[in-house]
Amino acid sequence: MPHAPDSALIEKMMAGDESALSALYDRYSAMLFGMLTRIVQDRHVAEEVLQDVFLQLWRNAGQFDSSRGSLPAWLIVIARNRAISRMRGARNRELLEEKDGDFANTFASGQNIEDDASRAELARSISVALNTLPAEQRHALELAYFEGMTQSEIAARTGCPLGTVKTRVRAAMQSLRQILG
Amino acid sequence: MTEPHANPEDLDLYALGALDGQEKQTLEAHLRACSACRGELAAARRRVSLLGLAAPPLAPSPSVKTALMQKVRSESASANKQIAPVEPRKIRWGLRFSLSFAAVSVVLALATWWLVKLDLDQRQQIRQLQAQLGKTQIQLSQDASTMQALAAVTSAPDSAQITLLQQPGGPPGQAHVLYNARMGMGIYSGQIAPPPDGKSYQLWLVPSSGEPVNAGLVSANQEGGAVVVRLTPGLVPKAFAVTIEPLGGMSQPTGPKVLVGAAS
Repeated sequence: MPHAPDSALIEKMMAGDESALSALYDRYSAMLFGMLTRIVQDRHVAEEVLQDVFLQLWRNAGQFDSSRGSLPAWLIVIARNRAISRMRGARNRELLEEKDGDFANTFASGQNIEDDASRAELARSISVALNTLPAEQRHALELAYFEGMTQSEIAARTGCPLGTVKTRVRAAMQSLRQILG
Repeated sequence: MTEPHANPEDLDLYALGALDGQEKQTLEAHLRACSACRGELAAARRRVSLLGLAAPPLAPSPSVKTALMQKVRSESASANKQIAPVEPRKIRWGLRFSLSFAAVSVVLALATWWLVKLDLDQRQQIRQLQAQLGKTQIQLSQDASTMQALAAVTSAPDSAQITLLQQPGGPPGQAHVLYNARMGMGIYSGQIAPPPDGKSYQLWLVPSSGEPVNAGLVSANQEGGAVVVRLTPGLVPKAFAVTIEPLGGMSQPTGPKVLVGAAS
């Protein structure tokens, strides 16, 4: 089933077809594992989280709502949340579980990243966009995304004034917004 | 006077999880009242989710997939093994009817038999559950293994029903779990107000000792499509609970409990 769309594979998984899970794993494991390794900085831990994410997909395939975004975007959000939670423990729960933070850490993507070519092209665009950022802006953005840090935490980590960090992160996101739309 | 819309950069930062302190509180208060900004936030989330692609793809060890598939097969085999006692009955009926119709018939008959055994208070709850099962049977008529699971749990005399009730300050809702600890199998059905955007409801089996066990994600409205719960056989619940978790769920509960029901 190498060319079956994600939606068809999800339906097969819901019917108990293990080969559909296998196909989705082959399709997205490298994408997720690259990100997970970047976050947890430990190949073994990244593999544990990766397996956990796909087990969750197998057990709860029916929970995926394709009208709210693509499967890879959903997997990216879940994998990032789990990896950051794993790394930061209870402290991160405040980030992910704010009592009335109804609006954070959800998933969505209107971009077509289901096929390898589109995903690779988009990844190249993102890398180019990040590489055009000044180093300090890129560093601040990476601390926020890959380590789940808030602006205040980035300021504490880097020793920069909070106002400077805010300016850097905002400028970085503004640049990405212009490039990625 | 109309409140000005949120700064797009703040929405980006919020989607990234980098906003904190008073700025975050102020933005969340605004988002609750401004649908236009909630729409802008969705666009910000799209941008942020794409940042994950910045990390170069990396192939995991082949052993990860091997272990994953073994675990999946083991779970499937465990579920099939537990329902083995009802196989002969299903096969005999299968000679006269299609598989799905036979499974539906067996479930209804066994559910009715089980219903008679319960006291009056429980009967009312079971009638509701039976009606929900009827809807579920239609939805899952093609899924023979699921139907067998329903039949096995419903027919077992040692299955127990736990009613999960709304918690103070939580969203309105109620749910029922029909669970058989010996089989490690159950059926969840219920209805809760929709979860916050970007969150999931997750069901947990709370044992008498040890940490809660993930019983899977559940939808806010699970009245018309019950969820089959498969856990390790022999795990006796002290209670079941539903919590709010990040999208996709967590391996241990981190969010507030919205429904709780003690097993008697």
